[in-house]
Amino acid sequence: MMTSGSQSIDTEELTGRTFPYQFDRSLVEDVDLGEATPGQDLNWLEDIELMTEDGVNAVFDRYTNAFLKIYFEIPEGRENEFARKVLIKHLREGNSYGIWLKHQHAKFPQAELGSWRDGSATVGANWSPPRPADPT
Amino acid sequence: MEQVTHAGPGPSAAGAARTGRYDIRGLAEPDATAPETAVITGQSAELDAADLTTRQINLELRRLLAAGVTDVTLLNPRARHSIAVGLLLRCRIRISGSLGYFACGLIDGPEIHITGRVGWSAAENMMSGVVVVDKNAGSLTGAAMRGGDLVVRGHVGARTGIDQKGGTIIVGGNAGSMTGFMLQRGRQIICGDVGAGLGDSMYDGAIYVGGAIASLGVDCVEAEFTAADEELIDRKFRIYQLDRPASFRKFTCGRKLWNYDNLEPSERKLVL
Repeated sequence: MMTSGSQSIDTEELTGRTFPYQFDRSLVEDVDLGEATPGQDLNWLEDIELMTEDGVNAVFDRYTNAFLKIYFEIPEGRENEFARKVLIKHLREGNSYGIWLKHQHAKFPQAELGSWRDGSATVGANWSPPRPADPT
Repeated sequence: MEQVTHAGPGPSAAGAARTGRYDIRGLAEPDATAPETAVITGQSAELDAADLTTRQINLELRRLLAAGVTDVTLLNPRARHSIAVGLLLRCRIRISGSLGYFACGLIDGPEIHITGRVGWSAAENMMSGVVVVDKNAGSLTGAAMRGGDLVVRGHVGARTGIDQKGGTIIVGGNAGSMTGFMLQRGRQIICGDVGAGLGDSMYDGAIYVGGAIASLGVDCVEAEFTAADEELIDRKFRIYQLDRPASFRKFTCGRKLWNYDNLEPSERKLVL
């Protein structure tokens, strides 16, 4: 996944794995996008569109600043819908790499999975400053 | 919670003077605790902020949301700065009165209604959610916003949506100079007039203006108003029950400043 001399920050490279909903459309079919977002329309998901990364369909995960590739076939005319459903599934399952980092770097108590899923664990309650490197 | 404090001089010296220590995370009142003064009824709560400090108000809001409260009414905010910031849960907050600067910043999920005015940088860096301000807002409204709807029923100051990367900003009145400066994604709908330099150095996104335009900024050009634009504006105005001007003009990036081909892939992601 290296691209033209620069290091990729693709989700699969960051997490070291893939996720079933990248391959199986049926796993995201029932995601209710309206229910997943605040307000009376799609709200922030309105900006989420199907894109490509390394020539593969992908959705941009802004919480990780990386693309999540989508390998299943997407019906024509429903490209953005499935990009949004995969992203919401990814966030609700707690698989966004940027969210993983909360365990180490969150400085204030907060819901691990933010506004996407009720009742998630609290992270950031026991943050301590990093220790300076030993000069020796 | 583990104490995260250090002795000696530091950036929060003022806080240290009050409390004898400072917090490495930058907390102005590291020893503050939630006052537990809100009146809770089921999943709703009412919080009188009259005698509370900024940090106490925010701690109490967090305590309420963590306890499962989903609707909060905040009374007597007295235009304090940095209220309702960093809230990362779905909830509804009604703020009866005005707020100072950096109101509702860094939020992801809340739906907030402010009945008064707000200072500069309201809803900066909002990821998702809805913020509705019934009166005027200061400069830098919606700065660096990533998503969600920000509605100001009155006028706004300069540089509305500077560095905006997503979401929709709707202004019922006029907007100041450099509106949409460095806009990268998202939309702005300005019902009234706009000042000089509209859309200066914008990279992407769209700005709709219903009134007069003092001047366009660098690389901002008028674009065709499409059926999709019509649907967006109709929908947003219906949701927020706004009076719609008779017509809008649409402005986008002229792409003279585009250098995407020269960007490294990792740099390209920074503007998504």
